[in-house]
Amino acid sequence: MTTPGTIISGIGHVGLIGWLIVGWGMSSEPLQIQTMDVSLVSGDQFEQMRARTTPQPGLADPAAPVPPVIEETPPPQPAEEATVEPAPPPAPIEPPAAEAPPPPPPPAPPQAEVVDAPPAEPAPPVTPPPTPDVQVSETPTPPQAPTVASTISAPPPPDARVDDVVREEVVPDNSAEAEVVAEEQEATAPEETTTAIVIEDLAPTTSIRPSTRPSRPAPPQQTAAAQQEPAPTQPTQTEPAVREDDVADALAAALASAADAPAIAAGPPMTGSERDSFRLSVNRCWNVDPGSVAARVTVEVGFSLDREGRVIGNEVRLMSSDGDQSATNTAFEAARRAILRCQSGGYQLPADKYDQWQDVVITFDPSGMRLR
Amino acid sequence: MIKRLLTVLMALMLAGPVMAQSGPLRLTITDGVIEPITFAVPSFEAETPAAQQAASDISRLVVQDLAGTGLFREVPATAFISQISSFVQPVAFADWRAINAQALIVGAVTVNGDQLTVKFRLYDVFSGQELGQGLQFAGTTAGWRRMGHKVADAVYSRITGEGGYFDSRVVFVSETGPKDNRQKRLAIMDFDGANVQFLTDSSSIVLAPRFSPSGDRVLYTSFESGFPRINVLNVANVDRQQLQTAPGEMAFSPRFSRDGRQVIYSLSNGGNTDIYRTDLATGQHVRLTSAPSIETAPSLSPDGSQIVFESDRSGNQQLYIMSANGGEARRISFGEGRYGTPVWSPRGDLVAFTKQNAGRFHIGVMRTDGSEERLLTSSFLDEGPTWSPNGRVIMFSRETQGAAGTSSMYSVDISGRNLKAVPLPSGASDPSWGPLQP
Repeated sequence: MTTPGTIISGIGHVGLIGWLIVGWGMSSEPLQIQTMDVSLVSGDQFEQMRARTTPQPGLADPAAPVPPVIEETPPPQPAEEATVEPAPPPAPIEPPAAEAPPPPPPPAPPQAEVVDAPPAEPAPPVTPPPTPDVQVSETPTPPQAPTVASTISAPPPPDARVDDVVREEVVPDNSAEAEVVAEEQEATAPEETTTAIVIEDLAPTTSIRPSTRPSRPAPPQQTAAAQQEPAPTQPTQTEPAVREDDVADALAAALASAADAPAIAAGPPMTGSERDSFRLSVNRCWNVDPGSVAARVTVEVGFSLDREGRVIGNEVRLMSSDGDQSATNTAFEAARRAILRCQSGGYQLPADKYDQWQDVVITFDPSGMRLR
Repeated sequence: MIKRLLTVLMALMLAGPVMAQSGPLRLTITDGVIEPITFAVPSFEAETPAAQQAASDISRLVVQDLAGTGLFREVPATAFISQISSFVQPVAFADWRAINAQALIVGAVTVNGDQLTVKFRLYDVFSGQELGQGLQFAGTTAGWRRMGHKVADAVYSRITGEGGYFDSRVVFVSETGPKDNRQKRLAIMDFDGANVQFLTDSSSIVLAPRFSPSGDRVLYTSFESGFPRINVLNVANVDRQQLQTAPGEMAFSPRFSRDGRQVIYSLSNGGNTDIYRTDLATGQHVRLTSAPSIETAPSLSPDGSQIVFESDRSGNQQLYIMSANGGEARRISFGEGRYGTPVWSPRGDLVAFTKQNAGRFHIGVMRTDGSEERLLTSSFLDEGPTWSPNGRVIMFSRETQGAAGTSSMYSVDISGRNLKAVPLPSGASDPSWGPLQP
């Protein structure tokens, strides 16, 4: 009746019970309990306490008012101090008129007229650059874009000195200065406004960025077409053309690779018995001379078979060898004799798997036949 | 972008089947057959009436040489489908394939007075191509055998890729008479036992002749003076010259150095035998070993840098290798029994030796590090191996048991096959195979 299972179960239960009793291995620490003293209050006393607290409901308010009052006062002061420095800018406003002139000298009169144009003609100037052509990218505008955004006064390419100066002054107040400069230009240096125009023109060029078409293929055609007509038409034509070319190229490559392949395997692969049969039909003609130095050389030969299983042109090629020239020649001749001698009317191979045995590479390894 | 992806997918789909193609069918063959290569030699064409006999003889000699190697087997003339009536006529390869002749040798012989010319072509029947180019030899009618051997050497070399050994000679000790009164003379013969010529008379005992590398001289040990002495014999005029040694010294077991200018040999003095080297021009001696044991039978490696010899320094006769200038030697034989008469192969990869074990003698070979020892023969007494010029065949002497026992020479392929006796009219021993003749 007492089966091993019963015994094991009994031992397990006894052990478990004993372990629970002894509590070995179990360490329990008493939970920490916070105790609070409680005093009993009667209903009257409670009402009295409520009556005393009712008149003071504003206990929450005092906290709120206090911080706001304290904090609000100081802020204004630091703010003023911070702005105090920028305040000097107004002073520069006057000098700008004096400083502005330096850049204007190169440009000249056109500024006054141009100043008005920029705001109104932002669009037209954008159109010419829109040509996503390489020409746009070729222009040295990229470096100007960042400077233009920051400093209006940075005039055209003329002088780099002017740019530096403008930066120092413009940094504090950009927009403000721009307006001021425009006004002053009317009086002295209208040429500076020209730089402003350029700056505005540059701004739109940034919006043209999305047109990444220049990187498209057919570079020669692009350049030619770009010179002839605006870009808009070209990009639309080139894109589809390129994609069609890609498809054509891919198809051509795939077909070419397929054509280059000796044959496309068709049907089921050759079975092990078919391969063994072929191998046996060759090795029964492979005559090895164990005493020859060629018996220490492994050669790999290749040949092609016609559909009758005969070596095409009786041509057997040496693919590789691990011996010297003389021994290799001897080993290769033995291999070639084996292949050609045993083909007789053609090797017996499954005709429906011709694609699989059309080309054959056989390794003749005599290592197992060497003299020992 | 999607269109591009579709394009790529389409290309992959088209290329898929091609990539799945495993390329050429690849097989590995590790087991072949070991059988002679079949060849056919239609009787050489006699281009002059006087060449009839020579053409026939040379044709048969070529067949004999090739078939005698064990590596070739002749397709008999009775199996021929087509005949070769002219040296220049096209070969009907199909007819020779049909009788399974792998090689076809076509030749022609011309005799004008005592001048004889032999030319031949070798065809690889199954590839339908000529193997190498036609070759022609000229000589005297008396030397027709040599020309036949030359043709056989060329055929052998073209098919096996190794040098031949048919046009070579062997010097040996010819023995006649009973064991207790045996007459010994130096003799020389063609490798196949033909054209035996005696170099010495039987007035004194001669032992261990050794050909010089060029085949023009022979070293041998003579007891003419009562003590063993080393003589150098000129094969052409049979002139002899004795190697100078001190009185009481016994010199034996000589061999030429690779350049033929020096001799290494054993010199016994006061019961101790060591190996020496002597310059033939100056007579200067150099002692190469100096052990109290017996060191003898030295043989130089093909490059002349090392010497293999036998010694009983370990208490038993074993093989050792040392530098050609002497110095410490390393033992290479560790099998049971006793090893002696080592000879370095012309290829440099093997050492042939005589082994005595369990009452039997063997001719064997081992690699120069002592590995892959193989015993090729076994008999009551086999000894004194010598290598063919191409390192493919070993000739040795075998003596039969009993008072009426005789000594003869045998050859065996290093594969252990094709053991056969060298046909000689009398007994023979101590062969030394010379080089291919020019």
